[in-house]
Amino acid sequence: MARYIIRRLLWTVVTLVVITAVAYFLFRVLPSGDPVRARAGKAPTQERLDAIRESLGLDNPWYQQLGDFLWNAAHFDFGRSYISDAELRPLLLDALGATTWLVVGAVIVWLSAAAVVGTISALRRGSLPDRVAMGGALVAISAPVYWLGLVALYLFASDIGQFKVFPGAGSYASADGVLDRAWAMVLPWFVLAAAFSAVYARLLRSSLLESMQEDYIRTARAKGLSERRVIFRHASRSAITPLVTALGVDVGLLIGGNAILTESVFNIPGLGRLSYDAIQRGDVATIQATVLFLAFFVCISALVVDLLYALIDPRVKYE
Amino acid sequence: MTDPQDHTPAPERATATGTSPAGGDAGRRAGAPLLEVRDLRVGFGSEDGLVQAVGGISYTVEAGRTLGIVGESGSGKSVSSMTLMGLTRSPSTKIEGEVLFEGRDLLTMSTDELRKVRGNEIAMIFQDPLSSLHPFYRIGDQIIEGVRAHNDVTKKQAKARAVEMLGLVGIPDPGRRVDAYPHEFSGGMRQRVMIAMALANDPKLLIADEPTTALDVTVQKQILELMDRLQRELGTAIVMITHDLGVVAETADDIAVMYAGRIVERASVHDLFSHPRHPYTWGLLRSIPRLDLPRDVELVPVDGRPPSLIGLPDDCSFRERCPYAAGCCRPGMPDLLGADGAPDHQVRCTMPPERRATIWQVLADGGTPQEAATKAGIPQPEEVA
Amino acid sequence: MRRHLRLPLTIAALATASLGLAACGGDDSGSSSSSSSSSSGGGGGAALAPGAYDPAQKPAAGKKGGIGTMLSASDVDYMDPGQSYYQFGFLVAETTQRRLYYFEPNDATKVIPDLADGQPQVSSDGMTVTVKLKPNVKFSPPVDRAFEAKDVKYAIERLFTKNSPGGYTNYFDFIEGAPSELQAKKKDISGITTPDKNTIVFKLTKPYSAQFIQSFVLPYTAPVPEEYASKFDAKNPSTYQDNLVGTGPYMVKNNAAGKVDGIGWKKTKSITLVRNPNWDQSTDFRPAYADGWNIKTDVTDANVAARQVLDGSHMLLDTNPPANILEQLATKIKDQYTQTPSGGFRYFAMNTNIKPFDDVNVRRAVVAGFNRDAARKARGGKFVGPIPTHYLTEGFPGYEEAGGEKGFGVDFMNYPKGNAELSASYFKKAGYKSGKYEGKQQLLMIGANADPGKAAAQVAADEYKKMGFNVRLRLVPQDAVYNEWCGQQTKKVAICGTAGWFKDFNDASTLLQVPFYGGAIPTEKGQVSYNLSYLKDPAVDAAVEKALPTTGAERLKAWAAVDKAIVEAAPAVPFVADKTTDVRSKDVQGVPSSFNSLWDLNFTSLK
Repeated sequence: MARYIIRRLLWTVVTLVVITAVAYFLFRVLPSGDPVRARAGKAPTQERLDAIRESLGLDNPWYQQLGDFLWNAAHFDFGRSYISDAELRPLLLDALGATTWLVVGAVIVWLSAAAVVGTISALRRGSLPDRVAMGGALVAISAPVYWLGLVALYLFASDIGQFKVFPGAGSYASADGVLDRAWAMVLPWFVLAAAFSAVYARLLRSSLLESMQEDYIRTARAKGLSERRVIFRHASRSAITPLVTALGVDVGLLIGGNAILTESVFNIPGLGRLSYDAIQRGDVATIQATVLFLAFFVCISALVVDLLYALIDPRVKYE
Repeated sequence: MTDPQDHTPAPERATATGTSPAGGDAGRRAGAPLLEVRDLRVGFGSEDGLVQAVGGISYTVEAGRTLGIVGESGSGKSVSSMTLMGLTRSPSTKIEGEVLFEGRDLLTMSTDELRKVRGNEIAMIFQDPLSSLHPFYRIGDQIIEGVRAHNDVTKKQAKARAVEMLGLVGIPDPGRRVDAYPHEFSGGMRQRVMIAMALANDPKLLIADEPTTALDVTVQKQILELMDRLQRELGTAIVMITHDLGVVAETADDIAVMYAGRIVERASVHDLFSHPRHPYTWGLLRSIPRLDLPRDVELVPVDGRPPSLIGLPDDCSFRERCPYAAGCCRPGMPDLLGADGAPDHQVRCTMPPERRATIWQVLADGGTPQEAATKAGIPQPEEVA
Repeated sequence: MRRHLRLPLTIAALATASLGLAACGGDDSGSSSSSSSSSSGGGGGAALAPGAYDPAQKPAAGKKGGIGTMLSASDVDYMDPGQSYYQFGFLVAETTQRRLYYFEPNDATKVIPDLADGQPQVSSDGMTVTVKLKPNVKFSPPVDRAFEAKDVKYAIERLFTKNSPGGYTNYFDFIEGAPSELQAKKKDISGITTPDKNTIVFKLTKPYSAQFIQSFVLPYTAPVPEEYASKFDAKNPSTYQDNLVGTGPYMVKNNAAGKVDGIGWKKTKSITLVRNPNWDQSTDFRPAYADGWNIKTDVTDANVAARQVLDGSHMLLDTNPPANILEQLATKIKDQYTQTPSGGFRYFAMNTNIKPFDDVNVRRAVVAGFNRDAARKARGGKFVGPIPTHYLTEGFPGYEEAGGEKGFGVDFMNYPKGNAELSASYFKKAGYKSGKYEGKQQLLMIGANADPGKAAAQVAADEYKKMGFNVRLRLVPQDAVYNEWCGQQTKKVAICGTAGWFKDFNDASTLLQVPFYGGAIPTEKGQVSYNLSYLKDPAVDAAVEKALPTTGAERLKAWAAVDKAIVEAAPAVPFVADKTTDVRSKDVQGVPSSFNSLWDLNFTSLK
């Protein structure tokens, strides 16, 4: 197992290098914003352009630039933003903190919601609660996060809401301390979790229904086990496998930057926001760093998922 | 595999009643059978209408004896036994009749009461031991779980019982294997585990639903021998469900042949194999290898498919597939009646006894159904056309 | 949000000019540049002599005290006053950096002395400019001393180095001794002398003093203390902006050593402006009512931000709200915004080098038949600004002389939704009897690949197609529209579908000269042309050359004549003259900067 993990981590490194190189070429070679021009104002003189180009190290050959980037990234140094000249490491770590805080909270919310709703729906299949829950889930899935965020803010935000209950957009950035931050995240958590709750509830429902059809469930019942034990010990353990898969991918992507819409509506300075801004401004330095982060988290969560499989399913063995 | 003609049931099995170690029970009426099923009907609601999976069957199982229920898939044999266990209960299932286990009606029991019976007094094993065992849990834990569901014992005691049972069913090194996962066993070993699990609570009745179907031939034999041995040692009554007459020939005392949700023939093993009376049973018998016939005789399953179970007409369900039906049978569903001169041998067929004898004569000698029908003077489809 | 262009001073011109260009001399309309709508401002009263400063012209007095909040989607481009080039950077620099001269807050046609003491003295040959400076205006901590002439000299000299290259040195690179290339180390510029602490003299190599002194309103003339800044300027890039000091009423919050980076300036997060303790109200015309400003620069969602400002307290929005909010503002929430002309226009340029746009009648036919309202809708509709009838925009010096809202009454500019008949008549004049264009050759049109520029370009392409042109629209990144396509002659772009032009400051030359003057087309290969029509119209060129050296009321008329010549040459389809809509909370008395068109934090007060 340890050998397997080490091998996987080595592969992760290879993947990261490849992805970084691809990102580098995509943003550098294909036409996009020239970071030098973005910094130089409109209609700058050639001199000014050259000076900026040199100061950013962009006059070096591409392999040297890429090499420098990788070498520095290996030392956890991502250089400076081409646009704001801010050092990227603290920027990324701050953003990572905010995003992690957002995603982890949302995951807890959506898993709890999905567990309750999905289980009830599966066990009371076809009943009124099931239909209401699944109909609601469809609505939640189809509701754009952005729209949902706005609705949540207009309803519940303490500054612009009808019912001034929860802290509104931008409150995370100014929050101090864990409790304050958690309080500031309440709306974002629920908004981000809404669609995921629905997806996971449906996933859990169908997965539970499927595993309730398994022969071993019949065996468990034939043994005279209580229905509760049959469901929560026998059916749910196999039913969560697809959820773990989905969760691994989703968490990786969300932490790596896919929480952008929620971050945007609630003005949370997270990784998604950082990369979106960077792309908009042609800030290749920041783009590269965030792409690297995204890839890293996707790889790591894939690894974690695989390890979790082994934990859940004794048939899975890694050599 | 075996010669049904030579089969002689062990007499002590055939007569043993109330010898089960777990059998000294108060609620049981003296002389009453362990299990008595009366006119059991099971229907499932579906979009197309009610699927009448079991259309009114009755049978009894005496303590310590083995009843074989034989039929094709879809004949209702599995559904009827699952219904005994309450495993088919659902809002869309319609269950009628009575199932008296030691005098208590299992059908009217609450789920909780029934749960106390399940796995404790009645146990069940299934066709595919791999899918029937939970792949994520150690087999020991799965046995322990069953033991502790019905007995107030510690985990340690339950585990000791599990090891004991594994040893009993012939798992080598049970003390170590108790911690293994299902996928670490072979198919036959898994079924032994299932049996160990089923018998761990000394049930009075074991329902075995196609216990050997998924196994290869040599392993089948071992499992059947194991069940035979255990039945003798433990005195457990068995309901053996199978599509393979060969399997029940070896193990059963009595046999019920089911077709389209009904019993079409019921007799002791000996009677059934020596004088099968229903055309469907003839078909089944022809589909098992026989030692007394030349090897080159082709094994033919019964032609055609079973009828749809939705909106069955009031008519012989087998008529469509019966090669001897032409110009012989009365319309309407025949009753299950005792045969002439053998009241314990019941058959659901209105064919005149002479003709029946003529046909069986031909078939028993290895003739084809066509030859038999011709001999009995029944017009064949080709000729009709 | 990108801010305008430099002014390529390719032509010699300009006699001595008095400062301020006399915008309002004899202006009878009293139309100040600010706000067609309600709110703030006010003022607007009597016309003043150019350059004069009259306290009565100030916006209604505000309440002192309090801390305001501004929400912004982005950070400043540079905090460094010499490098900043964008509106938002200017907004912050307005509060921290006094410069030699400045505009009236609500009338950018009036220039008033700021750090300068009185008007600049220009020698008779127009080659020497002398500015007297106010004494006793102190730098913010930790410098704490009064600024002197040498600090202005250093501020300009440092902009010719590689470490801190200026954003628009072309406004002053004709000072004698100014390096022609960026230097590794700061070089003394011999043409800037400081005879005494409070006098600075600029010797020019060319007689550009008229425009030169107008550029004094830009923040590059804000003094920089060399003894403090040199250690930061020695780094590449310079870190002076991370340790900024200034003479304005506010300063970016700093620590004892002067560091602002991470203290008052959390990059891409926030800017905290606090009172500069060394600021002396008696030396400054800025009231600076509020005690300080918290500027959040990490706002992500424009909708939410706009609502927060509208529903909140003591808040301002940095720039235009999104279109839906704009509509609500105009129809429901009427008293919480101010519209200020941005001093610019958006247009579709036709390349006069490419057939059939070499024919003025074809161009006129296009303008006449074009549904400009549809194009404006793609950018947000009527709330974005009016559809122009000529190129000088509302509130701009010369606008009234050019006919105000009505313009010159040139027929083909009079139909915002297009007039097919009129268009047909011009096509006929050009020899197309069907009343539509009949040529078959494919015309390349370039547009930005992001909205709203993209949407407008697509509308425009359809309009051209309706008139019979075979247009191929190619969408490219915003940056590349000028630099790689429309501005490159060799690319033979027939129609530039995403073009906009905005002033640098309030002189008509900054608005009309670059985009339409034949002399502004660069001759060197690869240089980007901002005359996107490649218009070389003799009438336009002559009018520009005539207007450049003028001053006073004559200048306004002269530029109005330029405007008329351009309109008649029909080089483009101008479809909207943008206004900036500034949004505020109810309890804010907002004053927009007529110069920068965003809120002016020096004049805005909290109720």
